[in-house]
Order: sequence, then structure tokens, then C-alpha cells
Amino acid sequence: MNIDDLKDAWKNEEPGFVHLPIGDAMQGKTVSAVNSIRKNMKTEFIATLFSYLIFIWFLFFRQTDPFLFNITSLLFFTMVILNTYYFFKFYVFYRSISGYTLSLKNSIAKIAYELELNIEIYKAYNFCITPIALMVAIGILCGKETSKYILQGLTGSHNITAHLLIMLGVLLISFAGTYVFINLHVKFKYGKYLKELKSISNDLGEDTD
Amino acid sequence: MENNEARFIQLIEEHKAMLFKICRIYQDDEADRDDLMQEMILQLWVAFGSFQGRSKFSTWMYRVALNTAIVFFRKQKRRPDSEQLPDKLDHLQAEATDTEKDEQLALFYKAIQQLNKVEKALIFLYMEDQPYEDIALNLGISEINVRVRLNRTKNKLKEIVKSMNYEYR
Repeated sequence: MNIDDLKDAWKNEEPGFVHLPIGDAMQGKTVSAVNSIRKNMKTEFIATLFSYLIFIWFLFFRQTDPFLFNITSLLFFTMVILNTYYFFKFYVFYRSISGYTLSLKNSIAKIAYELELNIEIYKAYNFCITPIALMVAIGILCGKETSKYILQGLTGSHNITAHLLIMLGVLLISFAGTYVFINLHVKFKYGKYLKELKSISNDLGEDTD
Repeated sequence: MENNEARFIQLIEEHKAMLFKICRIYQDDEADRDDLMQEMILQLWVAFGSFQGRSKFSTWMYRVALNTAIVFFRKQKRRPDSEQLPDKLDHLQAEATDTEKDEQLALFYKAIQQLNKVEKALIFLYMEDQPYEDIALNLGISEINVRVRLNRTKNKLKEIVKSMNYEYR
């Protein structure tokens, strides 16, 4: 066998009569990595909206303590603002992601950069949102007991140091947990893609002249 | 718009052999090839508006289709039989091989699976008789770099074929 001798056979090779999925493809039905990420984002967005409904229901129909209602409402409002900001960013990013008409080297570099940038935004988003969401959930689910506990901690009416330390501990644990979980989640979900893209980009960047 | 769509479909039909070869080179699993084909057509359609006809359609198509194939990652949860590459390659030998050249072509496809994505692109463009200058432009590297890499890749391919107990002249 010799590669140069195969060129004629290569040129003459025809796929025969086969159905090309042109219609489906033109409607955007694909399974690429970028498309999977887009789908994941859409699912996360729907899940977030659904969780809002649950939060609102608990907040307005199950919450009887005025102090806890005010604090939880403020946190919930902060969460909504942050979610809106980040989801808008993700939406703009995923609509613009492309670059296949550039040379391979530039195309890979662009996609790898965009993906990495987006992963960092995603990490920042989760780092902001998860602890707040956790506190809103604690506020809603634990009811009056939490309200008393927070009040005691903030007003210093009873054993202020221990109360503050426990509240700080809860905050720290939720931040640390979020950090670990998000990093693992991103590494598991997108790490392989990013690693491969970077490896191709590095390979093309090597000077072999 | 409809004219544009009809023209695009016609161009894809005319160049489908090229797309099939890219799918065959980049994916060893039948279902993955179908997915890749769909993705390439989508990306070509998305980019079609930017095609100004200054270069040949095929030249532009090489670039978009190859870039798509290279950044295409198959689904993580694929059937278990697609996990082991060497086993999967055997199906190529089972395909119809009427002539010696066809047999050699099947062997060539089998060997090429062991190259990395950039090497596959180089070999594909070389087999398509693309000038070094165009290969360099498509990959975004220098012409000399293309020559060096192509020589290396051909040697690598030679070793792969030999390791499969076939003669390479």
C-alpha cells in the first residue's frame, strides 16, 4: 500500500444513494458539544424558574414570621437580580458562539477561549447564587425557630459569640461546598472538551518550521 | 431566502462525497458519523450567509466542515461497543471490497483512525489534492509547517500500516 497510489480510489469513492439529514440540520437539530451546553443552560433556566415558583409559594403562603419574611424576601430579590444578570450573559454568549469560518488554529483558539471564559462566568454565577439560595431555603423551611435564632445572634440578647460563630460557620460551609461542587461539576461536564481543544490549539501553535 | 436554501441544498448534494469522507475519517461509529454529518450541515448552513463566492465553494466547505469535525465531541453516553476503538475498526474490513484498491482504501481508513485530529485534517486535505498553500490557510499554520507535519504524518501512517501486518511501499 502507498498513500499516493490511493488517490484515484479516494477520488472515485462515492457514498452512493444515502439520505442526507439536511432538513433536520438546517432546523438546528444537532448533538454537538456546544449544542449540549446550550440545552443544559436551557434546562437550568427552566429549573430556576420552577424553583422561583416554589420559593414564592412558600414565602407568601407558608411564611408567618414577619422578620424572616423580610430577610428572605431581600435575599430572594438579590437572587432574582443575579440570576437575571447571569442568564442574560449566558444567552448572549451562546447565541454568538461560532467561528467555524476562521482557520482551524484561530477557530479552535476562539472556541476554547469562549468556552473557558464562560466556564469561569458559570463558576462565579454559582458561587454567588448557591449560598444565597441555601439561606433562602433555610429561611423558608426552618420557619420561626430560625427567626428566633438569627434575632438572638444579631441583637446579642443571648450568647452572641456562639450564635454568630454558628451563622458564620453555616455561611462558610455553604461557600466551601459550592466551590467544591461547582469545580467538580464543571470539570466533569466540560473539562474533557476544554482539555482536548487546548491540546489541539497547543499542537497547532508549536513551531515546527 | 428560498432560493438561497435551494442553492445550499444543491451544493451540499454535489459535495456530499467530501462530507462522507470527513465523517468516515473522524468518527468510527456509525451513529456518531450521522451526528457529525448533521452538525456539519448545520454549521455550513449557519455560515452560508458569509460565503461570498470569492473562493470555490469546495474550498470554503473544507474549512467549515473540517473545523466542525475537529471540535465535534461525541455523546458521552454512547453504546458500550463504541468505547473500544480497536474493536470497532474491524467493521471497516467487513465492508465490501471488490478490488485491491478498495481493500487498501478500507485499510487506509482503518489506519487513519489512529491519527490525531490535526493529522487527520492534513491527510484529508492532501488526499483531496489541495495545494500546500491552501492547506496552510485552512489550518492557520505556515506552508513549511504543513510540509513538515505532512511528512511526519505520512511516516506515522506508514508505521501504523506496518504494525497492522501490511506492506507499505
